[in-house]
Amino acid sequence: MRDFLRSNKREASAFVVLAGLLSLYLWSHPIGPTTYVMTIWANQCLILALAAMAQFFAVIVRGIDLSVGAVMALTNCIASYMVIGSGIEMAFGVVVVIAAGIGCGLLNGLLVVYGRIQPIVATLATASLFVGLALLLRPTPGGQIDYDLADAMTLDVLGMPTALIMTAAIILLIWVPLRRTGLGLGLYAVGSSEQAAFQSGMPVAKIKLASFAMGGFFAGLAGLYFSFVTTTGDAGIGPNFTLNSIAAVVLGGVALRGGIGTLTGAIAGAFILKTIGALMFFSGLPPLAQPFIEGLILAGAIAIGGADILRIKNRLEAFGR
Amino acid sequence: MRKLLLGTALAAITGTGAFAETYRSECFAPAPGTRTIQGVAKDGPYKIAFVNGFAGNDWRIAAIQASKAWAARPENAANIEEFTVVSVGNDSAAQISAIDNFIAAGYDAITFIAVNPSAFEPVIRRAERAGTVLVPFDNVLDTDKIVQVNESQFELGRLKAQAVMDELGGTASKILMVNGLPGNATDRDRRLGMMSVLEVVEGLEIVEVVGNWDTGTSQKVVADALATHGQFDAVVSQHGSAGTINAMQAAGHPIVPMGVDGENGVRMLMDELDIPGISAAQAPAMSAIALEAAVALLQGNALPQTIFLPIPQVNAADLEAGVNYFPELPQSFNTGTGFPDCFAPFTPEELLGQSADNT
Repeated sequence: MRDFLRSNKREASAFVVLAGLLSLYLWSHPIGPTTYVMTIWANQCLILALAAMAQFFAVIVRGIDLSVGAVMALTNCIASYMVIGSGIEMAFGVVVVIAAGIGCGLLNGLLVVYGRIQPIVATLATASLFVGLALLLRPTPGGQIDYDLADAMTLDVLGMPTALIMTAAIILLIWVPLRRTGLGLGLYAVGSSEQAAFQSGMPVAKIKLASFAMGGFFAGLAGLYFSFVTTTGDAGIGPNFTLNSIAAVVLGGVALRGGIGTLTGAIAGAFILKTIGALMFFSGLPPLAQPFIEGLILAGAIAIGGADILRIKNRLEAFGR
Repeated sequence: MRKLLLGTALAAITGTGAFAETYRSECFAPAPGTRTIQGVAKDGPYKIAFVNGFAGNDWRIAAIQASKAWAARPENAANIEEFTVVSVGNDSAAQISAIDNFIAAGYDAITFIAVNPSAFEPVIRRAERAGTVLVPFDNVLDTDKIVQVNESQFELGRLKAQAVMDELGGTASKILMVNGLPGNATDRDRRLGMMSVLEVVEGLEIVEVVGNWDTGTSQKVVADALATHGQFDAVVSQHGSAGTINAMQAAGHPIVPMGVDGENGVRMLMDELDIPGISAAQAPAMSAIALEAAVALLQGNALPQTIFLPIPQVNAADLEAGVNYFPELPQSFNTGTGFPDCFAPFTPEELLGQSADNT
């Protein structure tokens, strides 16, 4: 247990912070921890958590993805046309939406790996592209998602918010198995040192491509889940999510220099960020002060995360990381 | 033809029948063809929230101030146990979660300006189940299930065009139309309203420019229009009319009838330059009417599903400093401080005493 905590101390501290913030939120909420209140909270958190997962897969291979919000906007607009009708039509729609997300991620990956363009530039360019497509699909907000499906995804199952069940499912069914595969290991190897990974005979290009594609997959899921919450398509949702997804992975202990952090940490970071937002909602703070305080917390979290450099006996060790 | 007249007369009769059924129809005027929604009476005092979206412009801040001024009036305060205002930013998911939170917290009524007009159907269902009254206003929803408060944008455009044509005695040869933000339903409806009057004028040339509802943009595009088209018989502007007037002054254009918005600075210019015409606007005080409508429903009254408020308007001849415009206040102050048919308009002191913060 102690070893487990020591090797996961970034995630462990993120979860402690999250637990503290959540208790504070439920304590400050006028009616406390009912299923309804937990569901509202979990829905908000899961949208950002999925965006943060998308960001995680770019950051872990020492990249960054500025198109997360744009992919969400595009998939949200596609969903507003396709996720309605009979059961088969909806299932097909969901598949198309997720495929679109993966396609966007792959395009990013191809530009980065074979185009040899810096991820920050490549994804900035594709972000405009994706938002442009989304605007062509939905010049003004509109369209509709099947209400029953949306309710099923955004309410609760036997008192447990569906959003929390899905979060747990993603961790247990996708992340934990992935971490044990060669690809899972490769993500960290490429992120830590691309040179070393290449010289060890790892398929660096394939790993990076796969990582960006998975990022696209989660960005597509984020757009899809946003659609379930709002039941409509809107091309203008992107900008908030791109920046918040970066903030969330950093809060969750994922290092922007790559190779360090876990998906669980990114999820915890997203939950923390949204819980802070929710806390401010009932605190009566002026709305214009909210970004300031969020920024302050973010800066503080990064500072603490970077502070372990102080504990190193030999400064040279810092370069070996 | 006779059949048509008969039909119109019948419609008018049934129409007035519908008017009589709803509560205070001189204020909560029904939109044409709308249905009636019967409120379910609840004992007061009530817990009410106003969930604003974006808070970063003068109009929204005036709307927040008007809602707080309404809650501060003693006759309303007696009905209210708790009144909360939050601004959630331009994020429809955040607005949905805020409304859900207030429903969960047992609020009796929630008013809001929708970030996205088509995103609220599931929330409406949850509110209905919980017995919470939702009243959207200004940016209303694509739904017929709940009472919504707005001004008729068509009528707002129509009355400006009508006023300038009346000034001109029904004939004109060239008129300038300063439109709003393109691709927007509000812009579309206001423009159609203006067109409904202008299109039928014999031999009238209509010059349209896009002013984006913005003073600076209007000034530029109107200056361009004056340079290329010379002189106009009249000008109608959706919003940002101060820029239009400034551009005309700068170009040495003679004073002609104008249909303009209701900003303080516009009315100051109108009075100072003796511009004939009319000043009318979407009044931010409709935030207070939405609250009033919510209370009316909670007290068990019937209201029209779509309410088109009587548009606050002032003819140029009736402009009076300190009454319908305020030279000592900023030009950006919104003179739409109330709807006289509903209750006494707020005084500037009542409004400016309120902060724009969340409560």
